[in-house]
Amino acid sequence: MTAVAERPAAEAAAQVADKQRLKAGTIGWLLPAWALVTGLFLVPIGYAIYLGFTNLELLGPTAQHYNFTGLANLDRMVHDPVFWSSVKITLIFVVLSGIIAQTVLGLALALLGQRAHVTVRASVGSVVVLAWVLPEICVAFIWYAFSQSGGVLSTATGHPNDDLLSTVPLLIVCVANTWRGTAFSMLVLSAGLRNVPQEADEAAQLEGASYWKRLIRVTLPIMRPTLMINMLLITLGTISDFTLIFAMTQGGPGNQTAILPVYMYIEAFQFNALGYGTTIALGLMVIGAVLSIFYIRQLRPELRRASN
Amino acid sequence: MGTTPATDSPPGAGQPRLEADLPTSPGAGVRLWRASSHRFLPSLVMAVIGVAFLVPLGWLLLAAFNPHATSGMAAPTFSVTNFRAAFSAGAGRDIANSLYLAGVSTIVATVVSTLAGYVLSRHYLPLKGPVLVGVIFLTGLPIPLLLIPIYQMFVQVNWLNSPFYTSLVLAATSVPFAIWLLKNFVDQVPREFEEAAAVEGSGQMRILVRVVVPLIMPGILVSAILTFINSWGAFLIPLVLDSNPNDTPGAVGIYNFITANGQVQFGPLAAYGILFSLPVIILYIISSRWLSGGFSFAGGIKG
Amino acid sequence: MATISLEGVTKAFKGKVAVDNIDLDAADGQFLIIVGPSGCGKTTTLRMLAGFEKPSRGVVRIGGRAVNDVPPKDRNVAMVFQNYALLPHLTVAKNLAFGMRIRHEPRKTIEREVTAIAEMLGIGSLLDRKPAELSGGERQRVALGRALLRKPNAFLLDEPLSNLDAALRAQMRFELKRIHAQFGVTTVYVTHDQVEAMTMADRIALMNHGHLQQVAPPETLYSEPSNSFVASFIGSPKINLVEAQVLRDTETTVISALSCKIPVNGDLGSTLRRMDGDSVVIGLRPEEIRPCAAGTDGLPVFQGLVELVEPLGSETHVAIRVGEQTLTCRFPPRSGLEAGATVNLQFDPQQMKVFDAESGTRLG
Repeated sequence: MTAVAERPAAEAAAQVADKQRLKAGTIGWLLPAWALVTGLFLVPIGYAIYLGFTNLELLGPTAQHYNFTGLANLDRMVHDPVFWSSVKITLIFVVLSGIIAQTVLGLALALLGQRAHVTVRASVGSVVVLAWVLPEICVAFIWYAFSQSGGVLSTATGHPNDDLLSTVPLLIVCVANTWRGTAFSMLVLSAGLRNVPQEADEAAQLEGASYWKRLIRVTLPIMRPTLMINMLLITLGTISDFTLIFAMTQGGPGNQTAILPVYMYIEAFQFNALGYGTTIALGLMVIGAVLSIFYIRQLRPELRRASN
Repeated sequence: MGTTPATDSPPGAGQPRLEADLPTSPGAGVRLWRASSHRFLPSLVMAVIGVAFLVPLGWLLLAAFNPHATSGMAAPTFSVTNFRAAFSAGAGRDIANSLYLAGVSTIVATVVSTLAGYVLSRHYLPLKGPVLVGVIFLTGLPIPLLLIPIYQMFVQVNWLNSPFYTSLVLAATSVPFAIWLLKNFVDQVPREFEEAAAVEGSGQMRILVRVVVPLIMPGILVSAILTFINSWGAFLIPLVLDSNPNDTPGAVGIYNFITANGQVQFGPLAAYGILFSLPVIILYIISSRWLSGGFSFAGGIKG
Repeated sequence: MATISLEGVTKAFKGKVAVDNIDLDAADGQFLIIVGPSGCGKTTTLRMLAGFEKPSRGVVRIGGRAVNDVPPKDRNVAMVFQNYALLPHLTVAKNLAFGMRIRHEPRKTIEREVTAIAEMLGIGSLLDRKPAELSGGERQRVALGRALLRKPNAFLLDEPLSNLDAALRAQMRFELKRIHAQFGVTTVYVTHDQVEAMTMADRIALMNHGHLQQVAPPETLYSEPSNSFVASFIGSPKINLVEAQVLRDTETTVISALSCKIPVNGDLGSTLRRMDGDSVVIGLRPEEIRPCAAGTDGLPVFQGLVELVEPLGSETHVAIRVGEQTLTCRFPPRSGLEAGATVNLQFDPQQMKVFDAESGTRLG
């Protein structure tokens, strides 16, 4: 909705009348949403910003009487090797299994789907989406089983007696996450592909461009906004993922798969440090915000054009 | 030049009139091997990928029905032993709990978001722009951030170990996206419909229910289904907010079952997984028939 | 050599034959226009030339070579699409340069040629803009420029002017003809507008329902239409088609129409004498009907009631009711006629066209 002040006077007058007409009664409808969002979103966020700088604990004396400890938690976090390792692991997890693997696989499926036989496209599409619909705990269990000694993955890769979750845990959880999440990219990028004008592709064909040239020089550039939005959403979704990794490895072995949400849980509910856990969560939020800003800046030309 | 079906000979050769049931799509051409080779390679590659994706699902299905299931693939057998084991481990109760959590959160989230989406679409609020941006921003917020403060708040008002309040939290996590989605749907409904109803003397609530809601039903359904699927698989939030063993939803139940006995019982766990997955799979099948074409913009599904 | 030919080409989609067994060719450098109502198959034909559709039957040749199995990118043809098909993410300059960069031409050459073409088409100042910032006419010219830079064997144009306003269209018709004269590339142009066809073409191919009706230079199409469809499609205002009877009971064959009896001799007479049935259709172009005083010089005369007078300045179109039919006539500017007046009209039977009532084929 554009700002009211930009419209000509007559329309503004009509809007005032509208305001008064619509105001009766309906503004109250915002109340439940407002209550829910404020109470369970905004207040907790504010509270989190406070708690992150306290020494609150789950049990014991500081569960009841906790103090504001200033920058102590922040200091601890900055010097905490597990934290930085967790940041690294989180980024690897997000970039590898999310941004790269899911986008590439999703794009491949979208492109193949354009040219494949209708039945193949429909059935493979359904299977891929089924993996996405399956509850995350089941995904975790299946890939846990696959990586055990004797499991499908272990056998197939020639290490039938290995527990792959001990030897290459991060790789396995990345594979599991890719398997689960590809459907989203496939759907979003299929829709984006449909919006590429056929005539632009045909014009490129007449100029002598081969399939790959057309893909790189015409299709993908036109799809750039869709690709950016897709990657933004994948990033935000993956960065706060808890269930998959926790159920498969509990962050282990050691802390080798402890992405930030898992590390937060471990610190807060296994080591009792609720305050410090919140600090970690705040770190997670900052990282998410930084990445979001990056994507939004990539999208800025399109956003500006859309608002014109 | 290989096979030359009659249809490609030069004109005047006296072949019969062209049948109309030639390959349908443009560019497919007449020579059948050519038509299928255009589609063959992509279909093959896609099918291979599809099979790769199918393997884990296939294993789950096989293991569930195999009384001697291990972590590897085995020949298909049929037995319901695993399912009995799953039920005696509490599958029935856990799934009922999930039903409650998902159901309540879906109803609450959908109703709340429809009301809010309507107002945000129609009403002229002074700060509407920033509010909408804020809503979009909230859809990207990491949920783990909210967990500890909510836990702490719930401790203080004694709302822990309550399925109802837990489902409210689940609803809240879905509300921002649902509001955004439904607001956009309401934007598409021409005001004239409501104005016509208002002229006939309908009150606002009646207008909403009788006029707007039917017109945005696809959006409401999408929002409800996404919320349900999200809440059905909820793990972290119930894990933290409700430690009553009678209240465990399916996801927590399965997790506990993995570590329950000394050795992992693949068969019963697989059966438990199938039972737990069935409702959302059925929901997906029903809804994909209804809303054909998939989502053109699905938004973030949170982990 | 860049001749173009379609030999016995047919294209069928599920349940529908879009193009039915057409034989068409264009000599090197010729400007051929395929014209016809929507759905007649003209765009499908063009797309078969480009390679985006494969003929169900028949052979497409470019420069003598059969190209049925040659993909569009290897045919060395250039196409101007109805919606211009500019790449939205590239500037005008990059759009123009696109093909040359694909073909790895040296950067200096590209810059030189792009600038030259842009100057020639009057879009030199737009080189750094994106397509979204251009007007329809400007986009049109970028599309043309890109096609020209291809140095193709043939130009294919798919209703390139239909998205432009009338004034721009007239100007672009002139420009296209000028470019064609300058570059001399074989051109196949598709349109539904017979004015474009008549003004620009060296030869016109008129299609209807997938069939070729007639292929001939514009004047021939106008003065010697091969059937009633051609006669009524070409020419504005449309030709007047009037039902008539053949009377054979006298020695000479006579056509009875518009309450006149017109004797018919020669080949046409024998044709009419031999045919079954009595009905024919005669065609008279609006300018072939003239007002006259009563009593004439042997030309058939009939009377009519003026229904509508449309003064256009340089001429006047008059709708005149004769019996059950309304004829459109083109008269000189100040005709002095008013609605409701009765007027005597005459025409020259030599100019009259006679068509078979059932098939529309021209009999004479």
